[in-house]
Amino acid sequence: MAETKTITLELFRYHPETDSEPRFQSYEVPYDEDWVVLDAINWIKDYVDGSVTHRWSCRMGVCGSCGMMVNGEPKLTCAAFLKNYYPFPIKVEPLVNFPVERDLVVDMEGFMDKLQDVKPYIIRDDVNDTSEGEYLQTPAELAQYKQYSMCINCMLCYSACPVVGHEDDFLGPAALALGHRYNKDSRDQGQSERLEVMLRSEAMWGCTFVGECTVVCPKHVDPAGAIQQAKAMGAQEYFKRFVMPKGAGATKGAGA
Amino acid sequence: MSRGKSGRPTRPSGEAFWWALFSAGGVMAAIFVPAFILATGFLLPSGDPAAAAEGAQRLAALAGWWPVKLVLLGVITLSLFHCAHRIRHTLMDVGMRRLAGFLKLPCYGGALAGTVWLALVLWGI
Repeated sequence: MAETKTITLELFRYHPETDSEPRFQSYEVPYDEDWVVLDAINWIKDYVDGSVTHRWSCRMGVCGSCGMMVNGEPKLTCAAFLKNYYPFPIKVEPLVNFPVERDLVVDMEGFMDKLQDVKPYIIRDDVNDTSEGEYLQTPAELAQYKQYSMCINCMLCYSACPVVGHEDDFLGPAALALGHRYNKDSRDQGQSERLEVMLRSEAMWGCTFVGECTVVCPKHVDPAGAIQQAKAMGAQEYFKRFVMPKGAGATKGAGA
Repeated sequence: MSRGKSGRPTRPSGEAFWWALFSAGGVMAAIFVPAFILATGFLLPSGDPAAAAEGAQRLAALAGWWPVKLVLLGVITLSLFHCAHRIRHTLMDVGMRRLAGFLKLPCYGGALAGTVWLALVLWGI
């Protein structure tokens, strides 16, 4: 009988109630070329060590829960195939630039705070009655923001970004791209409120256009491009406010 | 700097101003400066030496015309501010983040000094 092929997974382990510091633990996992790293971690949890803690949900690159560092690169583990690493060992760690809660699970609170800061929802001064129907949009108006709306908040871009790692005030790629997504939406009138936040010292200006956020994004969003556009928008707003102080120069929504 | 509940600053900063100079300077440094270098450093000297010398004299005379002086001032000054902003942010990236405010002085001050020196040179042509 043919010997079963295996692959080694080195998992980052840290249980704060018992471990004084993190450690790595190796597991031999059956190798199947259709398996992704997430399948292998689930196999470990189901059959070898139930104490392994990780986040996951959809297994199809939609929910954004299973982001981890795979051999030092931020990846959705549901999209990282074992065959791309076999026969070499795979080192799995929690996303960098985040505090670790337990094993492969990171604390998302700081990210959620930043997300709320950019008000990622449609803001209107005047709300039409439902009897007036929907706010219509042309395909060209949709194209202005559509790619930025594909973000699944997986936070891979936060792990890839060196600025996120050393500047707490930086809002980060996903939050800025999402803020920009609403600023570019013709139905929105909240651009001024969002730019108020984005114009703060390092909130957006901390970005030095490294571009790794765009490289690692599993949904092909271009946060680096969004931030550059948002900076140009922010600079216009800054000079408008300079010329017309006290909010007179506040810009309304992109389509208003 | 006033900070909100999240610990992040609550007021807009003047960073937009420096970024605008950086951005405009980026266009200058990426498009006009290489074009100038190509024209004056490579294309002009590559032909007949006598014609090149005459061309150089014509260019020098052109630089004495005030609209050209203004263009040169704009291109070089914005490029200097582009450079200053990039150096400041690079220094912040390599660990001088706490000195972000202080770094404005040598970086943008240097660009401003370069601008004044350039203005004097152009004035003298």
